[in-house]
Amino acid sequence: MNLEDELRAALRREDPSPGFAGRVLARAQSRPAPKARIPRFMWAVAMAAMLVIGFAVTSEYRQMKAERAGREAVIALRIAAEKLNQARDKVVRREN
Amino acid sequence: MSTQGIAAPISEAMTDDPERFEELVREHQAMVFSMACRYLRNRALAEEIAQDVFLQLYRKLPTLESSEHVLHWLRWVTAHRLIDHSRHEKRRPQSPLEDAPEPAAAGDSMGSADPLLASMLRDLVAELPENARVVMILRYQEDLDPMDIARALDMPIATVKSHLQRSLALLRDKLTRKKGVGI
Repeated sequence: MNLEDELRAALRREDPSPGFAGRVLARAQSRPAPKARIPRFMWAVAMAAMLVIGFAVTSEYRQMKAERAGREAVIALRIAAEKLNQARDKVVRREN
Repeated sequence: MSTQGIAAPISEAMTDDPERFEELVREHQAMVFSMACRYLRNRALAEEIAQDVFLQLYRKLPTLESSEHVLHWLRWVTAHRLIDHSRHEKRRPQSPLEDAPEPAAAGDSMGSADPLLASMLRDLVAELPENARVVMILRYQEDLDPMDIARALDMPIATVKSHLQRSLALLRDKLTRKKGVGI
């Protein structure tokens, strides 16, 4: 009598009760289908894209703000110049 | 042990093809169920754990690349699931298999001539500590050599060999005391 042979015989495989695979399948199908996993590098790409877009939007906003400030400064200078011209005309008229 | 039934690679498509998944379960159900059954000595619990392992497989399928990968994954998950279960539950088998039918008639090609001895051996294996028990099951149920067991369990090969030697010595000793027979 060899212990290892006896163990092999005692521990040999056996099947579960009939219909086991069907029961597993029924449980599997009653759950939502597994979703394909998004690879890690895709997350990195998405993060990088979001950073680039964020940076571009911020730069664009700053540029627009600077341009608007420039336009407003020009208008302010024109108004100031006009006022100065009017004042100068009044002074010239009084002197005459 | 055949893994040829399911063509590699295993892909997401299998989760959309119930028949292929069912075929995959049928191919491996005896291995998973028997590991659980030998480990727990409780058919109902073994079937429940085996079902959970296959449900986990169903969710994992899109990431498994081949039939060999599936086989390795199933062994690893089943073994760890069983060890975790007994560590968490901390209970001995409550419904031994004495009243369940024995798996096969004695006297088949590999079978023991002594069903009583076989039943005694299964009981003794189920009494071993968790890691030693799973090592013995992989060695004598799955017929894996120590190197494959070490790989399957992420365990140093020296530990596997030590578990095997100590478990065999313990079984021999207990069997001699119980049966009064040297083996």
